[in-house]
Amino acid sequence: MRSEFNPGRISSLRRRTRAIFLWLAGAVVLSACGASTVTVEGSYPSPNIQPLPITLGVYYSDALRNHVYIERTDAGKDEYLVNSGGSHIELFNTVLPAMFRQVIVLNDPALANERGVDAVFIPNIDEFQLGMPQKTRLDAYEVWVKYNMRLTAPDGGYIADWVMTAYGKTGQETFGSAEGGINDAAVAAMRDLASNFSISFTSVPDVRDWLQPRLQ
Amino acid sequence: MITTQKSMAGLLRAGMYLLVALTAGLSLNACTTTTIDEFRQGDTGINTGESIVILGRRQGAAYETGADFVECVGNRMGRGNGAITVVPEQIFVDALFPWFEPRTAPMRSEDLQQLMAQPLVTDKMTEFGVRYIVWLDGQTETTNRMGSISCAVGPGGGGCFGFGSWEDDSSFEARIWDVSSHTAVGTISADASGQSYVPAVFVPIPLIARVEANACSSLADQLKQFVQGG
Repeated sequence: MRSEFNPGRISSLRRRTRAIFLWLAGAVVLSACGASTVTVEGSYPSPNIQPLPITLGVYYSDALRNHVYIERTDAGKDEYLVNSGGSHIELFNTVLPAMFRQVIVLNDPALANERGVDAVFIPNIDEFQLGMPQKTRLDAYEVWVKYNMRLTAPDGGYIADWVMTAYGKTGQETFGSAEGGINDAAVAAMRDLASNFSISFTSVPDVRDWLQPRLQ
Repeated sequence: MITTQKSMAGLLRAGMYLLVALTAGLSLNACTTTTIDEFRQGDTGINTGESIVILGRRQGAAYETGADFVECVGNRMGRGNGAITVVPEQIFVDALFPWFEPRTAPMRSEDLQQLMAQPLVTDKMTEFGVRYIVWLDGQTETTNRMGSISCAVGPGGGGCFGFGSWEDDSSFEARIWDVSSHTAVGTISADASGQSYVPAVFVPIPLIARVEANACSSLADQLKQFVQGG
């Protein structure tokens, strides 16, 4: 095997190395400037409660499905995009079937009568707040969420409309990433919502009044 | 050539320092003082086939009982002489969702009676064979941090110089509830404290007080005896 000196080959190698270097440098600069996206992922246990003898329709609005919270720096730049819509749908799809005899996901609340449901449940996120350790000076990531829950009759008439809040926090780990901390705090908040919602649903005054004749 | 030999010698020296530091760190532990208090309210005992579950209190805004401490106590109770079956915390909390979440967990033993009125909860408790619920509440705080250590690396080698110290204080309380009688049967508290030092003359030598580990082992041993009726 003989190796020969080839100036053309060396200059092509140099060009390629320079291109790779520039590409890497560009990637580093871009990643330093852009906001990080956190798509919340978690698993939620099914509640151990007696299901209500009701067929519930559930409508997930586009606002819930595509919910993204933007955390900004003090200078007003986007720092983190917290995408929790998908995880919220997963949460409600786990919790609701354990709470009601039957649950039907509706693509349009106007289809409720046609699908023979007793009521339509429409959850929405009103507010989402994030507490970052560098801003709160606490050793924890925190998530607060304010929800608006609506229960309507199949024809769209009012049954109940109430507010629920959820809170979750997770400790800051020495070698943990901020993205991981935000995800864990969001999952804890959603778990808090699931526990509170599944236990307190029948205690909401308007829901209780509506349920009473149906449970007798 | 001479430069290469010099840097090799420096590397070897640095490696040796590191080895010495690691060995010293592993073999030297600073002193820890642990105090255990027990308050018994009822008779205890555990039969074959029965288990216990250890849960951390996480209602407080200021602190949360660490999951690793809860796991440490559970692991220690589940091995050695007179080992007790301990249901892992997360498995139990998930299986009994939503009744043992921070917002919904029973705070008093009287609440347990109300909770056990739920047929699904009773079924799960029976499935796990849970006889006692142990609620752990507490934390470890680090205070009195003092001193500083500076390190430098050069072509001929590297080294550190300085002195650092801090104090760790662990304070944990275990409340034991008897699931069969829905009553509180006792409380055990563990307080441990210790000072850690890191002197550094070329090599930092950590003399770490294993405060939380000592609180864990002392509390677990006492809990094991308590549950067995000793």
